[in-house]
Amino acid sequence: MVKARTGTGARFSGQAALTARLMLYSLLAIVLMAMDHRGRYVPKVRSVLENAVEPVYHVVEWPVRALRNLSGQFQTRRSLRHENESLRQELLAQQADLQRLDTLTEENRRLRALFEGAEMLRFEYRFAELVRVDLDPFSHKVLIDRGSVDGVVPGQAVIDGNGVMGQIEDVHLHFSQVRLISDPNHALPVQINRTGLRSVAYGSGETGALNLPNVPLEADVREGDLVVTSGLGDRFPGGYPVARVIRVLREDGETFARVLAEPLAALDRGREVLLISAVEEAAGQPEPVPLEPDAQQPEPEAEASNP
Amino acid sequence: MNSRRDRYSIIAATLAIALLLTLLPLPAWLQAMWPYWTALVLLYWCLETQDMISLGLAFFTGLALDLFTGSLLGLHALSLTVIVYLALRFRARLRFFPPWQQALSVLALLLNDRIILLWIISLRGDPLPALDFWLPPIAGTLVWPWLFLLLDRFRGAMRHRAMP
Repeated sequence: MVKARTGTGARFSGQAALTARLMLYSLLAIVLMAMDHRGRYVPKVRSVLENAVEPVYHVVEWPVRALRNLSGQFQTRRSLRHENESLRQELLAQQADLQRLDTLTEENRRLRALFEGAEMLRFEYRFAELVRVDLDPFSHKVLIDRGSVDGVVPGQAVIDGNGVMGQIEDVHLHFSQVRLISDPNHALPVQINRTGLRSVAYGSGETGALNLPNVPLEADVREGDLVVTSGLGDRFPGGYPVARVIRVLREDGETFARVLAEPLAALDRGREVLLISAVEEAAGQPEPVPLEPDAQQPEPEAEASNP
Repeated sequence: MNSRRDRYSIIAATLAIALLLTLLPLPAWLQAMWPYWTALVLLYWCLETQDMISLGLAFFTGLALDLFTGSLLGLHALSLTVIVYLALRFRARLRFFPPWQQALSVLALLLNDRIILLWIISLRGDPLPALDFWLPPIAGTLVWPWLFLLLDRFRGAMRHRAMP
């Protein structure tokens, strides 16, 4: 039955003990937070423990997957045929674009070879799905369903169909954490596509805006300009679309203009993403450049690196 | 009366369900107002059982939550410890409040928790959250009476099963 606690003395000591324990646990929690924030010891322990946590994500994902499968089952034949038709048209249009891209890539390769340029990178894409969008609403991280068994490595770039989303931060067995470009602690080397002006895009903490703080006041930047990755910093391959400039503030007395850009990727809505991995391809060989485009040449190498 | 171990397994089961609810992938609008399930469940057990819930339990539940949600390690541990401390401290009074008054106390506890969270966010130097930051406590308060009844039912059912 109920434990006998008689007398006010015992009661007061009970409350004092409670308060003392509150102090102890709060202190412990604050120390842990500080260590985690500073990146001392805790993150390592944490990433080990997070492997154990993985199965729970599977459990949570299950009803969602089931629901999606169910809604897929009930899609009518007509709507499917309709979708199929529009997808086919889209594919055709994109194939037309790709045909031109092939010749451009080849031309680029030849030019690089002429300049004895460094190695040229070819990119491979791997499909992944978002598992959770909102791990911690203030840290702008998402979880994807590819992990170390799929060859994901930290620092890998993640894009969706429209633009750059972020980069891989923590890799677990079957899951990885992605830090979004909207994270206030994320910086992405970019350039304005129209002028080639280089800058760095910082996350603003909101999924709808990036800051480009170090753009000179007199620089040629307009609203609607496309911002693409510059490829500097060796993390992100260059040339991928990131954002579109939505506002340029030029104030007198300031050294830099304030440029706001809206990310093109669906940071808060998308579900399907692509992981980019670079496959090195030796292009600076002194051998004569073949006129016939030999797209088959790098294939074995690519397959070797693809488990 | 069923044994202490049985009661702990019931508490563990409800906490596990609260954790799964927390992790459930949701559309953004719902996520913005998704209640703090773990805190609500812990609060229920604080009020309804005599010294089953300790600050240590709250702390480790919070750590597990931090691990699962990927938040700063210790963030939820601190928040749940404080909530459970306040609930245990004022347990005698909270227990005998009429339902609406109890719901208001829950609101106060959850708002207090948000203020602590705000303090941590500002210490980290993160930008301050938008106004919908204050929605979960309100949703939690609205959910509270129903959750209370549901858990009461659940506990009753388990008790009957344990002692036919």
